[in-house]
Amino acid sequence: MPVAASAIYFLNLRGDVLINRTYRDDVGGNMVDAFRTHIMQTKELGNCPVRQIGGCSFVYMRISNVYIVIVVSSNANVACAFKFVVEAVALFKSYFGGAFDEDAIRNNFVLIYELLDEIMDFGYPQNLSPEILKLYITQEGVRSPFSSKPKDKPVPNATLQVTGAVGWRREGLSYKKNEVFLDIVESVNLLMSSKGNVLRCDVTGKVLMKCFLSGMPDLKLGLNDKIGLEKESEMKSRPAKSGKTIELDDVTFHQCVNLTRFNSEKTVSFVPPDGEFELMKYRITEGVNLPFRVLPTINELGRTRMEVNVKVKSVFGAKMFALGVVVKIPVPKQTAKTNFQVTTGRAKYNPSIDCLVWKIRKFPGQTESTLSAEIELISTMGEKKSWTRPPIQMEFQVNLLLLLTLLNRSRLLKVIVSLTISASCYFQVPMFTASGLRVRFLKVWEKSGYNTVEWVRYITKAGSYEIRC
Amino acid sequence: MSGMRGLSVFISDIRNCQNKEAERLRVDKELGNIRTCFKNDKGLTPYKKKKYVWKMLYIHMLGYDVDFGHMEAVSLISAPKYPEKQVGYIVTSCLLNENHDFLRLAINAVRNDIIGRNETYQCLALTLVGNIGGREFAESKNPDVVNADGWADRMAQLLDERDLGVLTSSMSLLVSLVSNDYEGYSSCLPKCVKILERLARNQDVPQEYTYYGIPSPWLQVKTMRALQYFPTIEDPSTRRSLFEVLQRILMGTDVVKNVNKNNASHAVLFEALSLVMHLNAEKEMMSQCVALLGKFISVPELELCVLFVVDHLLVGHNDAFPATLQENMTRMLMITDAQDIIKKHQPQIITSLKDPDISIRRRALDLLYGMCDVSNAKGIVEELLQYLSTAEFSMREELSLKAAILAEKFAPDLSWYVDVILQLIDNAGDFVSDDIWFRVVQFVTNNEDLQPYAASKVREYMDKIAIHETMVKVSAYILGEYGHLLARRPGCSARELFGILHEKLPTVSSPTIPLLLSTYAKLLMHAQPPDIELQKQIWNVFKKYESSIDVEIQQRAVEYFELSKKGAALMDVLAEMPKFPERQSSLIKKVEDVEDTADQSAIKLRPQQLPSNALVLADPQPVNGTPPPLKVPSISGIKVGISSNWLDHESASQTQSQPNGDLSKAQSQIPSADLLGEMVDSLAIEAPAVDMGSHQRVYREEDGIPDEVDGTAIVPIGDQANKVEPIGNITERFNALCLKDSGVLYEDPYIQIGVKAEWRGHHGRLVLFLGNKVTSPLTSVQALILPPAHLKLELSLVPDTIPPRAQVQCPLEVMNIRPSRDVAVLDFSYKFGTSMVSAKLRLPAVLNKFLQPLQLTSEEFFPQWRSLSGPPLKLQEVVRGVRPLSLPEMENLFNSFRVTICPGLDPNPNNLVASTTFYSENTRPMLCLARIETDPADRTQLRLTVASGDSTLTFELKEFIKEQLIAIPMGSRALVPAVPVPAAPLAQPPSPAVDANDPGAMLAGLL
Repeated sequence: MPVAASAIYFLNLRGDVLINRTYRDDVGGNMVDAFRTHIMQTKELGNCPVRQIGGCSFVYMRISNVYIVIVVSSNANVACAFKFVVEAVALFKSYFGGAFDEDAIRNNFVLIYELLDEIMDFGYPQNLSPEILKLYITQEGVRSPFSSKPKDKPVPNATLQVTGAVGWRREGLSYKKNEVFLDIVESVNLLMSSKGNVLRCDVTGKVLMKCFLSGMPDLKLGLNDKIGLEKESEMKSRPAKSGKTIELDDVTFHQCVNLTRFNSEKTVSFVPPDGEFELMKYRITEGVNLPFRVLPTINELGRTRMEVNVKVKSVFGAKMFALGVVVKIPVPKQTAKTNFQVTTGRAKYNPSIDCLVWKIRKFPGQTESTLSAEIELISTMGEKKSWTRPPIQMEFQVNLLLLLTLLNRSRLLKVIVSLTISASCYFQVPMFTASGLRVRFLKVWEKSGYNTVEWVRYITKAGSYEIRC
Repeated sequence: MSGMRGLSVFISDIRNCQNKEAERLRVDKELGNIRTCFKNDKGLTPYKKKKYVWKMLYIHMLGYDVDFGHMEAVSLISAPKYPEKQVGYIVTSCLLNENHDFLRLAINAVRNDIIGRNETYQCLALTLVGNIGGREFAESKNPDVVNADGWADRMAQLLDERDLGVLTSSMSLLVSLVSNDYEGYSSCLPKCVKILERLARNQDVPQEYTYYGIPSPWLQVKTMRALQYFPTIEDPSTRRSLFEVLQRILMGTDVVKNVNKNNASHAVLFEALSLVMHLNAEKEMMSQCVALLGKFISVPELELCVLFVVDHLLVGHNDAFPATLQENMTRMLMITDAQDIIKKHQPQIITSLKDPDISIRRRALDLLYGMCDVSNAKGIVEELLQYLSTAEFSMREELSLKAAILAEKFAPDLSWYVDVILQLIDNAGDFVSDDIWFRVVQFVTNNEDLQPYAASKVREYMDKIAIHETMVKVSAYILGEYGHLLARRPGCSARELFGILHEKLPTVSSPTIPLLLSTYAKLLMHAQPPDIELQKQIWNVFKKYESSIDVEIQQRAVEYFELSKKGAALMDVLAEMPKFPERQSSLIKKVEDVEDTADQSAIKLRPQQLPSNALVLADPQPVNGTPPPLKVPSISGIKVGISSNWLDHESASQTQSQPNGDLSKAQSQIPSADLLGEMVDSLAIEAPAVDMGSHQRVYREEDGIPDEVDGTAIVPIGDQANKVEPIGNITERFNALCLKDSGVLYEDPYIQIGVKAEWRGHHGRLVLFLGNKVTSPLTSVQALILPPAHLKLELSLVPDTIPPRAQVQCPLEVMNIRPSRDVAVLDFSYKFGTSMVSAKLRLPAVLNKFLQPLQLTSEEFFPQWRSLSGPPLKLQEVVRGVRPLSLPEMENLFNSFRVTICPGLDPNPNNLVASTTFYSENTRPMLCLARIETDPADRTQLRLTVASGDSTLTFELKEFIKEQLIAIPMGSRALVPAVPVPAAPLAQPPSPAVDANDPGAMLAGLL
């Protein structure tokens, strides 16, 4: 186990220490001053997340308006330190009920100290799972009045829990209604040249789950990924079904997934933790369907005028629609006046980010809309630098929600009777996600054989979706 | 400004911003808004314009770039109403500076206001001119604004003024006038004293000018400041009355409850103190000052700090109080008597090392450094060492440096010095510069008694678990050299030493590894009786590094491995290092540099009539009277000529030489005893201080020890100290000068040689401008011309010495006898300090300089072309490997060497036809014709035909054009610049003997 931290500091944007905890005595108490003077007050802040000053390494990240700084003096595992920070923030969020910012920290000093004591020991990360920690750190955070009310807690048996075989799930859970929510969230990263050539394109996706299941259920997830399908057809000794298969790269799983079974059978089977968790993450680099095409033309007419024409085409299914589409078209810093014409949505010049911001609330598939703008620039005193033409950025989200059980209820019941496997479902709707990945089945098996309701949602979002102009 | 709601809303928005980012967003939004409004076609109402320009000013004050809207600001200056005019003036003087073009637009409006009748507008306009008025303003306003010469009388008159407001502002003027030049203003001196008298003694001041009972502290301070610009006061009566006033000020000041009163009175007091210091007043007064200062420093620091930050706001004094105080004390160290008094305050000064204010800590450090002498050195150094572990980073390096210097200067015994430095390295390795450990190594090497002690000490440090790399370096060096002295002690046998050193090897960076390798070699040599096991281990290490990617490591590994096979020969090569020549400590030099850059207090800015801190620090003798008890005379200030720049040259040359380090050559040369002897001789030339007689050695640890010859890089670096690198490429400069008539021919850090030429027919007149760039004269200047046979050159006398920063002109007459492409060479040499610099420079008196452009029509051209038929008068050649040039480029090239292209003569557009006239004594004006046929498909080849009435000329011109087409700008004829003639590198193959008198041979070497 690697050392991850000698001390952890929470600083606000001005550099004041909100909370700190020293885990090892190999760093001095004034090291955070070095961070403040040598990193925060220089322009290098944000350039490099790991810096070394005076024999100490500073690993830092900014979360809303808080800097979390980890100081180490030995040869620590930086990736571990970052993971620790991310997990710790998730933990705090689950305690405070949502927000993690300076105010939340100020309101929860005691709780945070208690948690910091628990989640790291002498620089070694410990259990950071909120479900487990909530068993024995029962103190409530100060929640904002808007967040949801906490549920009643069963009596904990922490020791058994932490040391048991299934450390992430408690025995004896019971729900009236057994439900599983599965989200496939993909973000598309794209860099396209002004001529429409794709320079870089990939999809990073994650499978998020929220389980409200009684007992100790065993779940099995089937995706249309290549390896899984090939293995399946091999085992059932029948040819693989035609249709699109997806190659997943860099798959990582939650610790609950049984890796030996994944290695041998290539199926994702697991006993889920209670509540929300991230089941897996993956990346896809080939065969990505781009939901939007953007065709920009930008003409600079002399020194003080510009013409901008941007056409956006949606190329996903006509029945679906994208929400919250925002196109940010960069303009020079000295923009003075703008005149717009848009077919749909609303556009505005935002001087603080030097962009024309074009918002379309609802963008149906297989349609297109255009923006044309005339821009006047003011003449400046500064040396004439030509405008660098940063790329156009785009934000959007395409959602699709399916209730698996309802699609095929009758067949499902049959299956339950015959195999005592609770649920399974097949469906085929083309192009839900940018990668084409879809859930083929999600089987829930439990001794008592209860019925479950499964919800699957596909969300495709824009990561860094950029088009050069 | 009242009533501008938008502005106040904007300002309150900004103030409400939680952080920098929110502020930036708000500002950007506002800037966008302002841009939109300024761009509005309908124009702005004056009110809006005013409001937005105020906003711009506010944004500018917040530190954001405002690069538009200057037009609007400037146009407001000519507005009729006061509020608009005011903002116009303010914003213009804030946003623009004197070099902005926009300011021109304002000149007229400002002028009108100045000559106008409205006093308020005049004030506004004068303020603007005062703030940003530049040359252009001065030109256009003269004689509206008064000339500054001969103001002394008027100044004196102004100082007679009774009104204190006028006096204060004229005193400001006086301060700035005399800070430039005090001469001529001596008539003001008694007046200033009178003013002081009036204020301090008679207290004859109207009520509104007293501040907490103190009569106009501002004026007092300014007057005393002005007095400090005058060197001394001659007149005894003035002097007496001034001292009386000062005495009164010194006596009358005390710490009271009221903050503001304290601030004001202390401001006056400290200015008075500096004035006393400046005037070198009598002893009595001086001791009074010290007593006073002592009184203040013993007042609880914190309280005073707070008070005097306000003080600094009040009178524009640049230092917080205790800082000034301590500076004054530092300065007082010059006076021997004062020292004892100051020493009494040592504990307080040490406490102020822990003061939260960094400027105070810094001053305290300076003060401790300055007051250190033999009696208190031990205490102070220990204090500093202790402080080092808690000091902040920015101070640590300076701190460690100073501790090291003090330890060296005042060490009661040398072992203590070694202890301190090792402790220093151990505590703050990162901040210990190389100089510090170089120095300790020098000491150990030069003091035999110290060697066993140092070795055992570093051996102790090596037992620690984690030690700093610098410590590894020191230890490796010392154990390698003197480890054998410990051989009888337990745990110090060669094998054990190797063991502990080798443990550290994986943890160190690559520059340290060569040092460790040297140490291993030395350990191996010292192991008596020979230890086979150890040899095996060390050979393994050498073998491992034989394939290291680092050339230095690789070379050492290979060489040591080969050497260690030699057995007895090893003893000679790896014998103990000789003593180092004594010299001024590089540390002290370094601390002087630090002082100069670090210290920027206002007091420093005054003309240095006072010896600066740095001087006091650098020369401890007057302070402590007795010479320090070191056996080494190094600190008594002997400067060895080459000491300061040496290190740089060394490291530079080392890096240069490494890539050339030819391994095979190196190996083959090692065994040759003769070569070794020769090398040693060559070393002896450049390092005479080293006693070469008793020790024969080639191998030296050059890494780090600054005065070592790079021994392992076998090629001895001849006379490094002499080598002066020219600035810029000489060949390129020459090539450029071939095409134009004036420019720089040669430049190095000391001298610049410029050339200006005029050509008329076959005569030419070149003027060489020899410019001395440094502040010391260049001596033994010699310039010899080595003329080729076809040129007659006459160089006028070159002076032997070029005075500092002067330029000498040497005219040179040139006459062309016959066509030739040979080049005249100028052999130029001079002496800077002790080093001789010489350079061989080609003079740009080349063939094309004797050409005269001539444009021919087709009627003139073709008969001539036809009349010159066939060789030797008309020569044709196909030239390959030409630099690809487009036709216009080629035309330019030809025109630039005065061969005129005649357009339209050749029907084929890819061909060029050119003509020119050549002048020489033999040929007289001679028409030359040329035709170039290019191949559009292959630009690298062309056919060149040249014709003229003289066969030599034809040939030479053809060759010349060919050269130009192929060579430019690659400079295939690379010039070997400034080969240092003495002590030519021995290990290199003997370079062709260059006979300085034979121009042909010289050219052969050059081309």
